[in-house]
Amino acid sequence: MPTVSQAEQYKQSFREEAREILVELEAALLELNEHRGDLELVGRVFRALHTIKGSGAMFGFEDLATFTHNLENAFDEVRNGRLAVGSELVDLTLSALDQIRAMLEEGAEGALEADPEACARILAGVRRLTGKPEAKAKKSATPLMSAGAAGPVNAAEEMRKWSIHFAPGPEFMLNGSNPLLLVRELRQLGDLAVTATMDAVPPLSELDPERCYVVWDMVLATSAGGDAIRDVFIFVEDNCELGIEPVGSSANSSELTAPRCEAEVAARALEEPRAGPGGRRTYDKADNAASLRVPADKLDQFVNLVGELVTVQARLSELAVRCDDPDVAAVSEEIERLTSSLRENSMNIRMLPIRATFEKFRRLVHDLARDLGKDVELTLEGADTELDKTVIDQLGDPLMHLIRNSMDHGIEPAATRASRGKRATATIHLSARHSGASVLIGVEDDGGGIDAEAVRNRAIERGLVAENASLTEAETFALLFEAGFSTAKTVTDVSGRGVGMDVVRQRVDSLRGSIDVASKPGVGTRVTLRLPLTLAIIDGLLVSVGKAFFVLPLANALECIELKREDGERANGKRLATVRGELIPYICLRQHFDIRTKRPVIEQIMVVETEQGRYGFVVDQVLGNCQTVIKNLGRFYRHVQVVSGATILGNGTVALILDPERLAQDAVRSNSHGSCGSPALGARNGRPMDSTVVKGIQGFAGAGGKRQRMSNNDSTS
Amino acid sequence: MGIALEQSDNSSVLRLSGAIDISCAAELKTLLLKALASGPEVRIALDGVTELDVTVVQLLWAAEREAARAAVAFALSGQVQDPVLSGLRLTGFEEFATTMDLFKPREVVCCQP
Repeated sequence: MPTVSQAEQYKQSFREEAREILVELEAALLELNEHRGDLELVGRVFRALHTIKGSGAMFGFEDLATFTHNLENAFDEVRNGRLAVGSELVDLTLSALDQIRAMLEEGAEGALEADPEACARILAGVRRLTGKPEAKAKKSATPLMSAGAAGPVNAAEEMRKWSIHFAPGPEFMLNGSNPLLLVRELRQLGDLAVTATMDAVPPLSELDPERCYVVWDMVLATSAGGDAIRDVFIFVEDNCELGIEPVGSSANSSELTAPRCEAEVAARALEEPRAGPGGRRTYDKADNAASLRVPADKLDQFVNLVGELVTVQARLSELAVRCDDPDVAAVSEEIERLTSSLRENSMNIRMLPIRATFEKFRRLVHDLARDLGKDVELTLEGADTELDKTVIDQLGDPLMHLIRNSMDHGIEPAATRASRGKRATATIHLSARHSGASVLIGVEDDGGGIDAEAVRNRAIERGLVAENASLTEAETFALLFEAGFSTAKTVTDVSGRGVGMDVVRQRVDSLRGSIDVASKPGVGTRVTLRLPLTLAIIDGLLVSVGKAFFVLPLANALECIELKREDGERANGKRLATVRGELIPYICLRQHFDIRTKRPVIEQIMVVETEQGRYGFVVDQVLGNCQTVIKNLGRFYRHVQVVSGATILGNGTVALILDPERLAQDAVRSNSHGSCGSPALGARNGRPMDSTVVKGIQGFAGAGGKRQRMSNNDSTS
Repeated sequence: MGIALEQSDNSSVLRLSGAIDISCAAELKTLLLKALASGPEVRIALDGVTELDVTVVQLLWAAEREAARAAVAFALSGQVQDPVLSGLRLTGFEEFATTMDLFKPREVVCCQP
């Protein structure tokens, strides 16, 4: 008898499996809604329900099993062509999925409870559709925990299912054999589900009247062995094509369209415990043998440790350089190489395709389209693009708000679409693709676009911009993401725009990403989220200004050139450098962060690629490459946008990781707003705040606090 | 067992009775082809049938498709006896019986194409 904790473990592993199946089920259902005649999809839905029911009963989720059984029955009717797939069935099943989910998580902390009333309503709906009475839980589906090793299991263990394929040969009938008699004889052995296929019957004129063209596929649930079945065919074996196989995996048998008999279901439910004991169940999918299921927090811990290792390795490297011993240097280099590949590997483990997140939104689009009375289709692109798990986890909410927004406000009502000559079915396109060290996630609709004028007016009303301010399109659209900003009153009647977009911005900011909005009136809107591939460790370039160290992400860095003092003076204070004939604006970090140390005669300009074009950052010295474990600055500094985190160097000093995008945006903003004097935008990202922060952080790090102070409240993200 | 073909100006009725099996399959095929060729309406009366075997089922199936192709009205008629019907069911000819409308209680059915 399993102990309590073991039982709980089994349940947990069932929950995990069921969650995955539910996701698959939901996807299959929504697809089925679009291709209603597709039997393959019906089969997928049926198999998923069947698995949930079977394993659910086995692990003590009896309510869930009974409930699911009713749904399964409905889809069995569909499979057998007695019930057509309609939106009512799909909607009922979708809401049933929500209830199944709730039943599954029952008892877990913060879980939604299953609503008995809703369940009853769903079952009533299913009954109405199928015209069948509600099915009660089956006796055979006794939970594993309570069954023990007692009689019923043993008795039924002898019961097996056989899949039999029987195709009489050309000479079959001439010997006086009758296939129908054989089929009837099989029926004596146990419960038989049988389908005769007539596909091979030729046209009447070509038909040989004394030949059997019919092929039989059968599923036999019997306690008799394979030999007994073979015995039935003993006299005709040479004259027919015969396949007799025990049905092991659920996939095989449910391919058959034969009407399902109770005994078959019972046999399967009892067979499953044998497939794999308890918590270590095996899975149907072949590729599962090569993969492991690991709890996400274990993985996070692993990556944290690798992060620590990278930090220690940096110290070792520095030590090796200092002691100038070739042996130590060799070991240090070796360790550096290993750490580097360990880091890459651990990062790869955390990479997941974004498909699951994208697929989730099919349901949202389906439900919203129904509620809003709009016809909307969701298309996906690049769903196999891989992203860090942390990023994916955080991406659900922003995408949801963006999609809701598109469906609520972007996509016009059917009448408007028709008058504009657009396709009646609107499209929401979700896309993902890699671009350098970033991933671009796009949410695009072919709706009415954003009314830039309305946005601007609203912003002026709220005092976000000055009345005479000249805003670029990008700046105007950026206003949409301000907290509480909503054009709902002026643009549409539906409220709620303000909050959702603010959530999007906050989330994307916390992921160190950026948002780009493009919109054409009457044509549609595209919102692109640019997110870093990984949040934990990056390759950086270590630079110094005075006593301060900074890290610039290597992915953005292009080249490094010298800036002599007289060059700067020659340009009349116009911070522009000429690099091979091209003028590149630069930002002097010393001034930007108000670092008051002596300026060296020759400075370096790091040229960096940003969305605003190429930008130079003037630093004292470029020290070299470094693997950087990103540490959060903590909540106190979360408004500092130009710094995306901090890292600890080999010697224990803290270096700030700069965000070149933000720095460049800041520069562009302070140039354009400096003239028109917008107080709101200027103060939020202005220099005073940045420089204070930088000094603050550098201050305590330099004053001997070093590592300990920082790592007390930080964490790799 | 017996097969009888009755032909009038515009309809053929093929009357089957007793056990219809492989022994009369060849004859049935010939008569079916003849009835279909003289179209436009062919009826198979199954009232007196006590047994149908697989070769006959095949022939009726093929004849029905042939009739549809040649735009001949084709129908099985007469109330098929219960043991015959359940025999078809038990051997997997559910689809055949449904397509041929055998499950419906009726006296005489004549469907237009």
